[in-house]
Formats: sequence, structure tokens, C-alpha cells
Amino acid sequence: MGVVLIVAAKDLAQRARDRSIFIIGIVAPLALAFIFNLVFGGGLSDVGENITLDMGVVDADRGPISDAFVGILSEIESDGLIDLTTYDDEAAARAAVDGGDVGAVFVLDAGLSDDIQAGSDGVIEVVGDVDAPTTTQIASAIAEQFAVGVRRGTAGALASSLAGVIGPEDIAAAAAEATTAEPALRIGAVPAATRQLDASTYFVAGLSVFFLFFIAGLAVTSMLDERREGTLARLLAAPISPGSVVAGKSLTSVVIGLVAMTVLVIASTFLMGATWGPLPGVALLVSAVVLAVIAIMTSVGALAKTPEQAGNLQSIVAVTMAMLGGTFVPISGGGFLERLSLITPNAWFLRGLGDMAGGDVSDAVPAAIVLLGMAVVGGGLGLLLIRRTVRL
Amino acid sequence: MAGKVLEVSGIRKRFDDIQAVAGVSFSIDHGETYGLLGPNGAGKTTAISMIAGLRRPDAGEIIVLGQPMTPTSREPKAAVGLVPQDLAIYPDLTARENLRFFGRLYSMERVELNRRVDEVLEVIGLTDRADDRADEFSGGMKRRLNIGVGLLHRPQLLILDEPTVGVDPQSRNAILESVEYLSGEGHAVLYTTHYMEEAERLCDRVAIIDQGEIKAEGTRRELVRRVGENDRVRIQTTGSSARAISRLEDLPGVVNALSGDGSIELIVEDASAVLAEALGIVAEVGTSVAAVTVDEPDLEAVFLHVTGKALRD
Repeated sequence: MGVVLIVAAKDLAQRARDRSIFIIGIVAPLALAFIFNLVFGGGLSDVGENITLDMGVVDADRGPISDAFVGILSEIESDGLIDLTTYDDEAAARAAVDGGDVGAVFVLDAGLSDDIQAGSDGVIEVVGDVDAPTTTQIASAIAEQFAVGVRRGTAGALASSLAGVIGPEDIAAAAAEATTAEPALRIGAVPAATRQLDASTYFVAGLSVFFLFFIAGLAVTSMLDERREGTLARLLAAPISPGSVVAGKSLTSVVIGLVAMTVLVIASTFLMGATWGPLPGVALLVSAVVLAVIAIMTSVGALAKTPEQAGNLQSIVAVTMAMLGGTFVPISGGGFLERLSLITPNAWFLRGLGDMAGGDVSDAVPAAIVLLGMAVVGGGLGLLLIRRTVRL
Repeated sequence: MAGKVLEVSGIRKRFDDIQAVAGVSFSIDHGETYGLLGPNGAGKTTAISMIAGLRRPDAGEIIVLGQPMTPTSREPKAAVGLVPQDLAIYPDLTARENLRFFGRLYSMERVELNRRVDEVLEVIGLTDRADDRADEFSGGMKRRLNIGVGLLHRPQLLILDEPTVGVDPQSRNAILESVEYLSGEGHAVLYTTHYMEEAERLCDRVAIIDQGEIKAEGTRRELVRRVGENDRVRIQTTGSSARAISRLEDLPGVVNALSGDGSIELIVEDASAVLAEALGIVAEVGTSVAAVTVDEPDLEAVFLHVTGKALRD
């Protein structure tokens, strides 16, 4: 253990003199998170802590179809997911959007119900605020969902009519019934992390892990630097085990990673209003993700023969993991991409924070366990692979 | 002190198609400076890397103070100080920090370490630059620090792998003086070089290595004798030398004595052994001596003889 600490102390002294570690570990994530928050914050802040989306509706149709649609909106409003405002005409609705009163409005033109009942196309127009893209996206999803229901209902009703079971007058009722069978499921499909983390926290957390990858990569690149600079020969000539050198360098990355993450949590809380959740849970997740990322990057870096190769490989992995893990763009929809994101520590860290946003620390445990599992698997693989690096 | 510091027996190392070291054997006594003299690519550094425990030989054995040296050995490694051919110091640490870090790897106690760091800084002439970063040093100063790290823990065997490569003449001389100092302190030294004059100046015994094999080994005198080379003593005279020649031919150690135009040329086994007596004979026969020149065959000649090529080919 003594040698591990000696190596770690030396490396920390070197890193402290290398100011890039402060830039890559603290300044850059904070700055980027701040910029992301400015650029995209409006889009995610409207789905913030209470997930209340400001929407409006103009019902110029006042027919059975539009009644059904407004009824659905009212149900969603009663669930607390949206705050619905009714406007008398389209001009007033557009003015409300332009003024930022609502993020999106539904425009139901006169004759909508008649057109649909006659078997023609009907249009539900969604007018969105460019500064509230998520609200607009969700409004569009609601409208599409309704349209799907209407199509099914209409087709079913027409088929029944042709069979003489019901008359044409029942088509609208059948359509409304069909749409209510599938309420706006897409709202429920918005991932927990997005649903429960505010924009500042989400982006700072995501970017922190992204930059953690680069800090973690230092353990291997430092080893390769030692080999290139000739000091590895001297280390291996000393009466110490090569494993203690690896452990010392990994410990350096752990310390720097924990310090950087801690600074980011504190700074983002006070400077950007990020809400990370209960401290013990945050500490657990941060520790777990630091270990997981270092283990992964050790495995990746050990494949390289030079520091440059290691840096390139690690950059590719860091960016890929960040994109898959939803660091830059939240992954939603519950599809393949969201399942794929679960191979990344980024996604599990965000998921853990999101799960814990309700205030219960124990909710962070599943994500932490997965992250620690990644650390064990990645660390074991890394130790196997890095043996080649600590040989001459 | 009984026993050998280092015993190398038939070590071999191959890298793919290249037999870098092909059965090298030698030993070093306490307080002895042993030189491996050979051109670049002769296998010196590969041999050193195995002796220092950095690589495992394909065959053969390395014994340091009675214990086998392998990459996992602890005690043998603690007895060895390595000065690699390439600089092996941290440029962003100060001279003192470099020394302290490596000293701690050898389990040196804090008080002893601090004292020893000051001593070594004195030996390598960096006391006044102790707290400057190594990347601010000249090439020669970095070389000296590189050596200082190797001798910090008072190794019983100090291995220096071409420590003067790329060094200016002044720093080179300082490095050679440091090695002479260490030898005087009783360290056993293994010194590799492709500079013949360094081997001649520093080493008690020299092994000439080429193509991974030791071609010849011994003291300079032994090597010279082995290849049949002799010293030449040229005595410039102002009178007749004919009377002196016959007596000089009978002098022990004299292989041949020739009389020339105002000079006597002696082919001798060891000039230093016969010079005084030869000059006495010349004086006794009444011949005045104007000048004396002694040419000793060097290791360059030996190297040429045993390898068939010049040392710097």
C-alpha cells in the first residue's frame, strides 16, 4: 500500500502542476453545462420539476371529434401534466405562444369533425414556441396519438357501418371511444431522468461524467508516458511490484475524479441552481460512476501502445458513451436506443439521480450497484490488459 | 567481502528474428568497475535490461549477491542501481523531488533519505539547483541527475548504460569523475559504452561485445596481449645507438629492438615496466636521449582485431 500511495502522491503533484487537469476536470464541464443550460435550458425547463407543460387549445370546430380531443386534453390536465388554456380564436392563441404564455397550442379548425365523419382528412394544427421545443414535441405527440386513434376508430366504424351494425351517426362516438382507449402514452414514455431532473442538473451531471472519462484516461496515458519517457524502466527496476504502480496511478485518477465531481456538484448547486438530490445518494452515485469510468477507460487505454493512441481511443469511447448515454440529447421513447444506453455509465448515473429525485436515497442503490458492477468487470478486464503496458 | 556481486551465466534473448543477446557470461567483484564495450546494436542495453531485472532472459541465469535476478525479484533489485541510457527522470519535478520519489521506492527512511538526497546532490553537483525543475536543466545536468537517482540508495551494484551519450565534453568529464568517485567508494560498477577511451579510463576489466556475444574479456593489458599487440617505445638519440641495441634486446620484456636514424625503437610487452631500465642502458652506453615517445595499443585496435571492424562502424 505504501508504494501505491507514493506513486499516487507523485502523480498528484505532477497533475497539480499540470493545469489542464483543472480545466478538463472542472472548468470545462462547468462552462459547457452553463452554455448548454443557456441554449437548451428553456426547452427542458418547461418539463422541469413539476412537469407542467403550458398548452393552449382553440376549438373552432365544436363538433364531436374536437370535443373528444379537448376531453382528452382535460384528462391530461387533471393528471397535472399540462396546464391547458382555451383561446377563442387562432390569433389569440398564436399571440399567447409568441408571448411565451404557453409552449404550444392546438388549433382545431371549423369543420374538423364533419371532414372526418365524411371520411376526408382532418387537420389538428400544433403551433409551438421555438423556445419550448419539448412542449411542442409533446403536443405534437398528443395530436399524433389522437389522430391514430381517430383513424382506427373511423376505420372500425366504417367497417361496422358497411356491415349494417351501426349507422354513420355513430362514427364520431366510435372515434372518440377509440382515442380515449389510448391516452397520450408518449408523455409517459419520457425518460425518468428527463422527467425528474431539471435542465441544469441534467446537463451538469451528464457533462461531468463525460469529462470524467478524460480524467480517468489519465491513469493509462500516464503509464504510457512513463514508458515513453523512460521512467517506467526505472520504476520496474525498483523493488516494487508493477501492480502497485498501476494501482497508484488508478488511485490518482480516483482522487482527481472525486474532487472534480465534488466541485462540480457544489458549484453547479450554487451557481446554476442544480438539484442533485440527497447528499448520501449523490456521494454513492458519484463514487460508483468514478470507479466505473476509470475501470472502463483503463481497459480501453490498455489496448494502446502510445499515449496518443490511448488518447484517441479514449476520446472515441468517451464521446460514444456520452451520446449513447444521453449526455448531449436525452434518450427517450423506450426503444432500442434507450435500451442500448443502459450499457453506459452515463445513463445509469443520470438514471440514478433521476430515480433519487423523489428524495429517497435508496432509489439510487440499483443504479449504483450496476455502476459498481461495471467497475468490477471493467477493472478486471483492465488489469488483464494493462499487464502488457507495464512491461518493457 | 567474499563472493561476486554479479554473476551472469549464458544469458540469451531473442526478439522475433533478432538474437539480441547470444550467451553472455561474466562476473563482477566487489569494488570492480566492469565495462561492456561495443558498438550500437551490439546487445549491451538488452543485456543490461536483463541484469537489472527488467526483462527475463530466454536462457541463462543472473545472480546478484547470491540471489537470482528476475523481473519479480525484490532483494536483488534493491541491491542494484540502474542508470538507463535514456533519461529517466520526471521533467516536471525538481531535482530534489525526483531523488526523494525514487528513494522512497527503495524504502529509505525519511531522515536517511533527506540526508542521502543532500549527499547525492553534492556528488552530482546540483546542490544549488536542487529545487529547480528538471526541465529547466541543461542536458548535462539532466544526465547527472539521472545518475544521481541511480546511486541514491547506495546500491552494491551500479549499472550505467551509456551515460555520456549526447553529452557535452564538460559534462561528460563530470560524469566520468562521478563514476571514478563511486568506484573509489567501493561500488561495483557495470558500465556500458561504445567510447573506447571511457572504457580504458574507468574500467578494471572490459568485455568486448558484438552481435550479442562477448568476443574478448580481461584487463586492457590482457586484451592487448591476447591479440598480440605490443607497446612501442621510440627513443630519440643524439649519438650512436648501436652499443645500446644489443643490451636492450636482452632486456626482459623487450620483444625487439631496432636501431634507426638517430633513434631506437623498442617493441615491448609493457612500456611502463621496461622504460626506466631501457633509458638507464641508453645512458650507460653514453648515448644522449633527446626525446621519448610511448605508443600503447588501445582497445580500438583490440576491437578491430577481435571483430574485424572498427568500434564506430
